[in-house]
Amino acid sequence: MVKKWPKIFGVMLAGLMIVLAGCNFQESSSGEKGEKETAKADKKAENVLNLSLENDIPDLNQVKTTDTISFSILNNIMEGLYRINKDNEPEPAMAKSYDVSEDGLTYTFHLRDNVKWSDGTPITANDFKYSWLRAMNPDTAGSYSFILADYIKGGTAFAAGEAGADTVAIDAKDDQTLVVQLEKPTPFFVSLTAFVTYFPLNEKFVTEKGDQFALTNDNILYNGPYVLTKYDQASGVELEKNPEYWDKKNVAVDKVNLKVIKEQSTALNLYEAGELDRVILSSADVNSYKDSKEFKTETEFTSYYIQFNLGKDPISNTNIRKALQLAYDPKTLTDVVLNNGSEPATGLIAPKMTGADGKSFRELQGDVVKPDVKKAKELWEQGVKELGKTPEITLLTADDTVSKDTGTFLQSEYKKNLGIDIQLVTKPYSGRLQTMRDNDYQMVVSKWGADYNDPMTYLDLWMSPAIPFRGNYANPKYDELVTAAKNEVDEKVRMDKLMEAEKILLKDDAVLGTLYYQGTAFLEKPYLKGLVTHPSGSPLDLKYASVQ
Amino acid sequence: MKKYVVIRLINIVLTLFVIATVTFFLMKQLPGSPFDEEKLAVLSDNQRAEFLSRYGLDKPVTTQYVLYLKNLAQGDLGTSYYFKGQSVVSILADRIGPSALIGTQAVILGLTIGIILGIVAAFRHNTFWDYSTMFVAVLGVSVPNFVFAALLQYYVGLKLGLLPVAFWESYSSSIMPSIALTLGVVATIARYTRNEMLEVLGQDYMLTAKAKGVKRIKVIYKHAIRNALIPVVTVLGPITVSLLTGSLVIENIFGVPGIGSLFVDSIKVNDYTTIMGLTLFYSAFFVLTMLVIDLLYGLIDPRIRVSGVKE
Repeated sequence: MVKKWPKIFGVMLAGLMIVLAGCNFQESSSGEKGEKETAKADKKAENVLNLSLENDIPDLNQVKTTDTISFSILNNIMEGLYRINKDNEPEPAMAKSYDVSEDGLTYTFHLRDNVKWSDGTPITANDFKYSWLRAMNPDTAGSYSFILADYIKGGTAFAAGEAGADTVAIDAKDDQTLVVQLEKPTPFFVSLTAFVTYFPLNEKFVTEKGDQFALTNDNILYNGPYVLTKYDQASGVELEKNPEYWDKKNVAVDKVNLKVIKEQSTALNLYEAGELDRVILSSADVNSYKDSKEFKTETEFTSYYIQFNLGKDPISNTNIRKALQLAYDPKTLTDVVLNNGSEPATGLIAPKMTGADGKSFRELQGDVVKPDVKKAKELWEQGVKELGKTPEITLLTADDTVSKDTGTFLQSEYKKNLGIDIQLVTKPYSGRLQTMRDNDYQMVVSKWGADYNDPMTYLDLWMSPAIPFRGNYANPKYDELVTAAKNEVDEKVRMDKLMEAEKILLKDDAVLGTLYYQGTAFLEKPYLKGLVTHPSGSPLDLKYASVQ
Repeated sequence: MKKYVVIRLINIVLTLFVIATVTFFLMKQLPGSPFDEEKLAVLSDNQRAEFLSRYGLDKPVTTQYVLYLKNLAQGDLGTSYYFKGQSVVSILADRIGPSALIGTQAVILGLTIGIILGIVAAFRHNTFWDYSTMFVAVLGVSVPNFVFAALLQYYVGLKLGLLPVAFWESYSSSIMPSIALTLGVVATIARYTRNEMLEVLGQDYMLTAKAKGVKRIKVIYKHAIRNALIPVVTVLGPITVSLLTGSLVIENIFGVPGIGSLFVDSIKVNDYTTIMGLTLFYSAFFVLTMLVIDLLYGLIDPRIRVSGVKE
C-alpha cells in the first residue's frame, strides 16, 4: 500500500507535465515565428517597424498633452504647417510656403491644395485657427498654452482670460491662407508651427466627439503620415500609412508597432529576439555592446546643470559659486558615471542647436566653462576669507538613479578637489520641484529640455523677475541682452547678443554649474534606415524611415 | 448566517471609509501637484493657481475631501489627472483583465503543485522526497520572482523560443508571467500543507480510523487531507489578493498591460484620483476576499461556526 504513493504522485506529476508540455506544444507555432524573426535579422521581409515606448501613453489630446511619449506618437499621426525634417530644420508640410513681413511680425502661411483629413474632409486655414484658439482658451487649454500665447499677438491676454478670442491676431483669410501676427519678431516661429500644440483640429469632429475626443483611435482625425489602427494606453499603438496623406509617396514603411515596454532588459531581449528594431541601452549594458555595429549614440537638446541659489548664503558669494562651478570635470561624469551617450557640458546651450550662418550656437560660442581645479581652490579660499568661515553646503537632487549618481559624483569631486564635505538631500521628483519653488535649497541638480531649436528656449528662463526656481537670479545687463535679442531682426546680431548673455550667466555670474547634455545610447538593426529622432519637441519621426 | 454577513458587510463599508479618509489626507501630504513637471515650472504663480483652481485643488483639503466622498457615494471615482480625460473606473477596467488572468493561473497552478508537493513531503517524511520538496520550497521563498522571471524570459523565451519573450498578444503571452508568479505560491503552500499533514497524521483519530480498518486511501483523503487544508485556506486569501491585483515587477518584465505598475506610477505623478481609486479597489477586494474565506471555513471545518448560526 505504502509503495503505491510515489507511483500515484508520479503519475499525477507526469500528467501535469503533459498538460504543461501541451501548453508549450500549442505554442510551438509561435516558436517557429521567433526563429523566423531571428533569421531575418539582417534583412527584413515585411515592411513593418517594431519599436518600443518606455511608458504608458498618457494622453493623445494634442491640446492638453505635455509628455514626450504622447508627443512622439502625435508627431507621426498629425502634422502642422511645417514639419521638422531629418536635419532638424522646418520644411513645408500642411503649408506649401509662407511670407513674412519686413518687421518680422506678420506671417502669412499658404496651405497646400488638396490636403485632407483621414476622413477625406479638406483641411482649411480655419482648422488651424480653431485649434490654436482652443489651445490658448483657458477653458480648454493644457499647460502648453504658453507655447502659442507667448508669441501670437493678443495670446497672453486671451490665455489669461482677460480678453476674448477675437482679440487674438490669427486670421483665416480664406481656406488656404492663414495670417498670424506676432508680439515680437520670432525667427524660429516657423519651427514652432511644427510643435504638437500647433497641429490643426477639425472643429466639427472635435465638437461631435465631445469629452470622448482622442480617447480611442476612432475618436481622432488624422492628417499626418500615419493613422492609428489600434490604441491602448497600457500596451501601445499600431500605426498604418495614411492613404490621405499629401506626401504618402515619400512614406516608406507601411506599418509601425509601438509597444509599451517599461523594463530595459526586456526590451533588450526582444531586440535580440528580433521583435524590436531599436532599443535604448541602460548604462550597464553599454560596455557589452560598445563595439557592435548596431551601437549608436545621439544627444538631445536637454541640458543638465547645477542651479545655484543666489538668494542663499553662502552660495550668494560669487567666488564660492565659481569655485563650485570649476571644481569638477563633467567629462568624468559622462564617461565613468553615466556612460549612456551623454556628453560633457561646457555651456548651457546644447550642441547642434541652431546658431547663425549655418553654424551651431556651440560652434560659434565655444567652451564657456572649463574645469580648473587650481583656480577653483583659489576662488574657494578667497570666498571663505570673505565669508569669515568655512560654509556648510547642501546639494538637492531628485531620487532617481541618475540624479543620485550625479549628486554622489559632485560630493566626491568637491571632497577631492576642494577638500570640503557637502551634504546631499534627495527628494522625489515633484518634491525637488516643490523645494525649489519654496526657495529651500542652496544648489540643486536640475535640467531643461528645449521646446524648440533656438537658444532662446534656454536663455529666456533666467530673465527678471528673480524667482527661487531659477536661483533668484536677476541681472539688468542680462535682461537687456535677451530682450534686445527678442526684438532683433538681424540673425547675426541676435545671436551675438545671445552668446553674450550665456557668457554673463555662466562666466560672470556663475548662476549655473554645467553638467552634461542628455544623450542616448541605443542599438539599431542594420536594415533600418532613416529613423529620425529629433533632439527636442517630439523626438520620434517615422516619416523618413525605411526598411531595406 | 445572514445576520453575520450583514454585520460583516457593514464593517467592510466602515473599514473602507476609514481607509479612504486616511489615504486621502496622507496623499495630500505628498509634495507637489499633478501638474509638476519641469516644463510647468515655468508657469507663473498666477498661472499655477489658475490651473489648480480649475481642478478644484485650491480649495481647503477638507472641502476637497467632502467633495470626494460625495462623488464616491455616487460610485464616481473621478477623472485621472495623468491620463487626462479618462475616468479612473475605465482605467481600472482596462487593466485588471491581464493582471487577473496571470494571477488566477498562478494561484491555481501554485495551489495544485504546492498541495501535491506538501502531501508527498509529509508522507515521505525525512526521505529524499521530503528534502527535495523542502528544497524547492526554500528556493521558492528565497529567490525573488523577478530573478526567476528574468531567467525564464532569457532561456524559455529568447534562447529556446518556446514562448513569447514579452508583450500581451495571445494566450501564450500569459504563460510565462503566470509561471514566474507560481514559484512563490508553490513554496508557501507546500510548506503549510506539509506541516499540517505531519500534525494531522500524528492525531489519535488517524490511529482510530486505521484501527477500524478503513482503507488507507480513504483515511488520507477523508481524515488527513481535509483537516490539513484548513490553514492553507487562511494563507490562500492574501496570496490570491496580491496576485490578482497585479505584480509590478513581473508585469514590467513581461510587458503585461496590467494594473501592477499603475499604483506606483500614479503616486509618482501625484495622480490623486487614481491613487484613491486603486487604494479603494485593493482594500475592497481584500476585505471581501477575507469575508469569503471566513465563510469558507464554516464549510470545510465543522469546528468553526460563525456566531449566530446555532440559534
